[in-house]
This record gives sequence, C-alpha cells and structure tokens, in this order.
Amino acid sequence: MTATLTGPRSDETTPSGRHPSTIIARQVGREAVRSGLLWGLAFGVFIVLQTSAYTSQYKTPVARAGLARAYGTNLGLNALLGQAKAINTVGGWVEWRFLGILSILGSVWGLLTSSRLLRGEEGAGRFDLLLVGQTTRGRATIQSLTGLAVGVMAMFVPILVGTIIVGHGASVGLHLGQSLALSAALISGSVMFLTIGSLTSQLVRTRERAAAFAGTLFAVAFALRMVADTVAGAHWLIWLSPLGWIEESHPLTGHDLSPLWIVLDMTIITSVATWRLAQIRDVGAAVFSGSDTSAPHLRLLGNPVTLAIRLARSTIGGWLLSVAAFVILIGATAESATADRSGSSGIGQALGRLGAYGSSVADYLGLTMLMVALIVAMIAATQMTAIRREEADGHLEVLLVRPLRRSSWLAGRVALSVLILVVTGVVGGLGTWIGAASQNAGISLGALILAGFNVVPPAIVLLGLGAMTYGLWPRKTGVVVYGYLAWSFLIEMAGGLRKVSHWLLNSSVFFHMTPAPATNPNWTSATIMIGLGAVGIFFGGFSFLRRDLQTDAGEMS
Amino acid sequence: MPIPAIRTRGLTKRYRDFVALDDLDLQVEAGEVFGYLGPNGAGKTTTIRLLLGLARPTSGKAEIFDRDCHRQTVEAHRRLAFVPAESGLWPSLTGEETLHILGRVQGGVDLAYRSELIERFELDPTKKVRAYSKGNRQKVLLIAALMTRPDLLVLDEPTSGLDPIMEEAFRHSVREARDRGQTIFLSSHILGEVEALCDRVAILRAGRMVEVGTLAQLRHLSALTIEATFNGPAPDLTQVPGVTRVVVEESRVHLQLQGPIAPLIEALASTDLQGLLSREPSLEELFLAIYESPIDFAQGHVSTAVAANEGNRP
Ligand SMILES: Nc1ncnc2c1ncn2[C@@H]1O[C@H](COP(=O)(O)OP(=O)(O)OP(=O)(O)O)[C@@H](O)[C@H]1O
Ligand SMILES: [Mg+2]
Repeated sequence: MTATLTGPRSDETTPSGRHPSTIIARQVGREAVRSGLLWGLAFGVFIVLQTSAYTSQYKTPVARAGLARAYGTNLGLNALLGQAKAINTVGGWVEWRFLGILSILGSVWGLLTSSRLLRGEEGAGRFDLLLVGQTTRGRATIQSLTGLAVGVMAMFVPILVGTIIVGHGASVGLHLGQSLALSAALISGSVMFLTIGSLTSQLVRTRERAAAFAGTLFAVAFALRMVADTVAGAHWLIWLSPLGWIEESHPLTGHDLSPLWIVLDMTIITSVATWRLAQIRDVGAAVFSGSDTSAPHLRLLGNPVTLAIRLARSTIGGWLLSVAAFVILIGATAESATADRSGSSGIGQALGRLGAYGSSVADYLGLTMLMVALIVAMIAATQMTAIRREEADGHLEVLLVRPLRRSSWLAGRVALSVLILVVTGVVGGLGTWIGAASQNAGISLGALILAGFNVVPPAIVLLGLGAMTYGLWPRKTGVVVYGYLAWSFLIEMAGGLRKVSHWLLNSSVFFHMTPAPATNPNWTSATIMIGLGAVGIFFGGFSFLRRDLQTDAGEMS
Repeated sequence: MPIPAIRTRGLTKRYRDFVALDDLDLQVEAGEVFGYLGPNGAGKTTTIRLLLGLARPTSGKAEIFDRDCHRQTVEAHRRLAFVPAESGLWPSLTGEETLHILGRVQGGVDLAYRSELIERFELDPTKKVRAYSKGNRQKVLLIAALMTRPDLLVLDEPTSGLDPIMEEAFRHSVREARDRGQTIFLSSHILGEVEALCDRVAILRAGRMVEVGTLAQLRHLSALTIEATFNGPAPDLTQVPGVTRVVVEESRVHLQLQGPIAPLIEALASTDLQGLLSREPSLEELFLAIYESPIDFAQGHVSTAVAANEGNRP
C-alpha cells in the first residue's frame, strides 16, 4: 500500500496566493518556531546568567579546582548531568553543565512538540482537509519534518547568541567555531527526540501514546547514561544511549566531534523511517492501529471517570512501566555506584541544592526519587492538558449536555489524576526498593514507600496551578503547566550556585520537597503543598463552573 | 396553563463587543415541532448553547420546562436530549460502546427502541467511531438522543451528512416522537425538512429574531406574485396600495402584492382584463427574501414581510 491520494497539483494556489502544497510545512513550522524560539530564548538567557554567576563566584584557578574536586566526585551530579571531568576550566564547566541540562529539557521538549504537532493535529482531523487532493502522505510528512526543522533553527539561534555572548567574556574566550559546535551539541537532544517523537507518531494513534512511547525511549536512554556515568566499569554503556553520544561529544574540551555525527546519522535514519512509515499507513491511522471493528467491551463504560480510565489506560500503563523500569535499574546499581565514594563530597553541602546530595546509598536514592518527582510532576502536567483537550475536542460537551454536573465531572477527573500521581509515586518507591533489595542495599521498604508518597505533593501543586489556569484561561493550560515545570527544573539545576537568590529557589516547586529517603520527608511542607494545590483546584473549579465551554478547532497546546 | 418546553426572556449573548444573540424572546410549547432558521452565523447554535447551559448568557434568561437553563442545568437536562451538528465522540470507542456510555450518563434508555433505531438507521454498531463516515457518526448521535425518548429534543442541523433514505428515517423518527407528545426544537438549513416537519418556525438574522409563526402565516405575510394579461395596453397599476415591483411587458404586467387584495381587484375591475395568475412564493423564495432583505431593526422585522409577530403564537 502506498500513497493513493490524488497527486500534488502544484499549479493551485490558496486564496492568499500561496501554494497549498506547503500548507502543512507552514502550519507545523509556525507552531514549532513559536515554541522553539521561546525555549531557545529561555535557554540562551539561562546560559548567560549561569556562566556569569560561575565566573564571578569562582574567579581563581584554585577556586575552580576546588569546585572540580567537589563536583567531580559528586555522584548525584554525575548521575544527573553526566561525568564532570574537566570542570576546572570554564569551557569544561559550561560544556558539562549545559549539555547535561539541555539534553534533558531539550529532549523532553522535542518529543512533546513533535507528538503534539504531528499526531495531535492529525488526530484532530486538521490534516485531512489539507491532504485532500493537495499532497501525498509522504510529502505531508516531509513537510511536517521540515516545519519541525525550522522550529529547531528558531531554538538554535538564541542559544548560539547566548554561547557567543558567553564566549566573548574574558575568562571564557570561545571562537565562533567553538560556539557553533557547542550550540549544535546543545540542541542535539531536541533534534533527536523531535524525530523520535515523529516516528512514534506514525506508530500509535494518539498524541498521548506517541509521547509516552517516545518518553519511554528517553527514560531508557537516560537510565543507561546514568548507569554508565556512575557504575565503575560500565562506562561503555554510554555508547548505547543517545544522551550518551551528546555527553561524549565534548564540543569545547574534546578534539573529536564524531559523536555528534552519530546524532546526525540517527536523526536522518529516524526521519527516513518516519517518512517510510507515513507512506504505508492511512491518514488518521497508525502502523499499530488495531482493528476498526470490535465486539463491544462495556467494562469501564459506566460513568465519565471510568471512561477516562479506559481511554487513557495504555498511556498510564506506559508511564508506570517506564517509571518502574527506571527505578529498578537505578536501585539495582545504587550499591555499586556508591561503593567507593563515601565521604568524598564533603564540601558539597556548601555548594547548594544538588551538591547537598552526598554519596551514601540513601543520598543516591534520594536523587533517584527527585527524578521520580520530576516524572510525577510531568504526569500531572499531561493530566491537566488532557483534561483541557477533552473540552477542546468536544468530548466534554457530549457528556455535559446530559444530566451530569460540571462539578462532578471535574472532581472525578481531578481525583483520578491524583490517584495516578500517587500510584506512580508508590511504584517509584516500590521499584527502587525491589532494585535496591536485590543488592542488599539495606534501605527499608517502608522508607521507600514513604519516599514514594513524598514525591506527590509537588505534582499536586502543579495540578492546582493547571486547574486554576483551566478555569480562567483554558487555552493556556498547556503553556502554563509545562512552562512552570520547566522553570522549576531550571531553578533546581541552577541551585548549585550560591548567587541564586532564595526567592528564586523558592519559586521551584521541587525546592520544597525533601530528598527522601536521604532525609525524612517534611510532612509540614508536604501538607502546605497539598493545601496550595487544593486551593488551586477549588478556585479553578469554581471558575470552570461559571464560564462558557470552549471547544476549539485551532487550539495547539 | 401547560408549561412551555422552552421559554427565553431577553436572552442575549455577547462575545466582547460582538452581539451573537440579541434580546431573544422565544416560547416553544410542549408538543410542538419548532423550526429554528437563519443564515450562517445568525446565532442559532449560540441560542442552543445557551439553552443547554454550555454558555452563559450575557443577560436575560432561558428555561426548559420551567427549569433555569443555567442554575438548574441537570434538572433541565433530565428532560432533554441534544444532537449537535458536529460530533465530539471518542474515536476509539465503537458505536455500541458509545451508545452504552451515553445511555448510562443520560439514564432511562428504552432498549427495545434503541435496537429498532439501530436497525432503522442501518448503523453497524461494531465499528469504531474513527472508522465511521460523517453521516454514520451523525446517526450515532441521533440514536443516542432518540433512544431515551426525552420530553424535548434539541437538534442542531441533525441531518448534515445523511443520505436521502436516512433523511426519511429521521423524519419518520421525528413524527413518531411528536405523536408521543415529545417536543422538537429543530435548527436546520434544509427547507424541505422544515416544511415537512415543523408546526411553527422562527427566523433569526444577525442575532435578532425577525419572524415567528406558522409557515402559512409566514407565507401570508410575504408578497403574492401576480401576473395580469390585458386585451390591449396595460394600465398603470403602480398607484394601487400594496403593489410593488411592477414590470410591464406590452399587454402583460408582473407585480408583487402585499397586504389585502381588494384594492387591486377594484383597480382591475375597470380594465379589460384577459387573465389573472397569482401564486404564493415557494418556501425557497420566501426564505431568500427574508434572509437577503435589509433588516429594519427598529421595527424588529425584515422589510419584505409585514410586521405583526405579536399574536402569531397559536
Ligand atoms: N466563542 C465565540 N467567540 C466569538 N464569536 C462567536 C463565538 N461563537 C459564535 N460566535 C459568533 O456568533 C455568531 C453566531 O454564531 P452561531 O454559531 O450561533 O451561528 P449559526 O446560526 O449556528 O450559524 P450556522 O448556520 O453557520 O451554524 C457568528 O458570527 C459567530 O462567529
Ligand atoms: Mg450553527
């Protein structure tokens, strides 16, 4: 089966006088540029501010050597951002820190953006119109990929500007070629996961599943890199992880950019595969579509909440599985990762937030649970955007024209989201325990289950923020929740520098969560966070009851 | 006095400074089949969204069987079912599964009638919604609304995408509902459907209701087309009260007449009349005239048709 729609009629133009054959490229491009530019600017500013904070705080080689000793042996930082090797030079520090942070954020941005723009738009039927008689599926996919590429360029430019500004600083001194290489390495996570998200968008039917599928691949890549960077003798594993290639590229301190060529090859292969798969499937369908007819399965079709479970079960299952796989792997390697490092990070305390994680198994698992907290908060963000999309796609209307209260619907939907968050947290704790117990790490099940509960409150805050936005400005729900999540993550990463004001640190929701099991959960701040979330949910719900329902054909977030 | 199925008082909806619906006073009696017409963008869907409590009125109020559409939404919804113009159904559920969940949320499904409807509309309920054509998705929505036999059916362009056979099945179902005493509020662009089904119609333009009444009354309100033939040259009829658009072709005159016919008959009596043809406008002509004519908002009606909306309700 190949593309069978009417071939392109390039002589036709739209009323605006443009070629219809580029409509998809322009539409995807416009959205991707908007988002890419925004994030590129945020990253660019982050790079400039962080570097100037570093160079003003650690002025002398001695100070930098001290930092390198502390960071180089800090297991948590190595696990999260990659091995800190040559960070006694500004170049080494810049490279390690920003590659580590941007490869995570950029990859997540990439997979969310491509699944949203490709699968989300197609799922909403907006490509059908565009495809009728004007282009083929293969071409439409090339157009989509082109649009995404333009979005990456929009992200690349402000990052490049940021690295050039940084490079001009007296103590850094990068020439243009180095700035270019660094910027290319910095966006390579975004590039790879944009294409991976495009590929999974061909494989499964919904945007949520495409994102979850690509997210699982990301989790595996991350876990592999983490093990490679922390477990003695396992460093070769780094070459199995796309995130590892980025780490190994060393655009400023190395002499060999060949790992970036692997990234490029991977991107090309994924793009070609995407294009091929698009040709062998129908518009609106997917490679793994399942049948279009089925005997009725009436389970979970009793009320709107169970319906939501039924519709999202495979996506939720995917999240839970990848969390479980991630923590079991990390738990199982915790012992060997921390074996010969105890006590090596004495001055970590002084270095702020991430530095505060020491090198005991408990500290290491505390860091693991911080990552679970990030994932759980991410799930909270996807839940809120899913709630908004039910309204945007008109599904909610179908329910609410029947005798169903808006308040019951929203309460049920939010309660379900909370349940998913709690289950994910507990699975995170339980999985860590299973992994750790297999190595006799000596952390009790109870402590890890509690640590699992401990990661939920930040996600509840995000849920509350999302609910508030949903009530007041429903179309901004996605932007606000993902924006705040990314903000918190950046603040969390920036926290290692003393210059960061306390006020800024406080604005990150994760700052208020203690790193259990490394320390005891702080139930007071947990309660406050839950309270804040509840207030947000309450007021958001209140506004929702009083506004018009807003379905939307043009919504893209 | 029986409770009206729908009653609105000064119902108004603004989007920023755009008035989508302006001061609507509408009453639909229980048991009526009521047509709701108007050109694109007139405010029909807006009215329905206000009636269903999906949107908040800027001012005024609406009631369904005496229940406030906004404050007592659930009570109002217990007695109505709605068919939208576009489906927001879940793509991954089959027709059968969709009907099941919608039935559970609505309550009171007549299962035997449901099977009958599935057969009547020739729906294959094992297919997933994503695999249905537009018309088939519309059938699912229609069956879901009809199967609970609600007191009021609110239908917004319910037959878009249906083929002529299914259109007939739809009309049959509406008549069946009316015969059981159910009320039907039908917004439609298909005039044949309106003519065949509706007891009364209201016509909306640019957010304002410009006409309401039975089709016979509307016809009566509008101009009669008259063609008179004379033995010899045609007389001047332009001064006769109610006569407009006079076109003279040698011994033949075409004209439009509004209001009472007596003055014209009187004027013709003294002429050498050979033949006289008069016909009512077709429904299409009637609606085109109302849809296209300039609106005189001060008088609250369109200028081709004579006023007197008041007192037209049966
Ligand atoms: N959410 C909204 N925001 C702004 N304007 C709106 C909104 N909803 C409707 N309108 C405007 O209100 C007017 C009435 O729209 P409505 O959908 O009620 O028309 P309609 O009579 O149903 O037309 P059609 O026959 O095309 O379905 C239109 O001009 C439309 O653009
Ligand atoms: Mg409409």
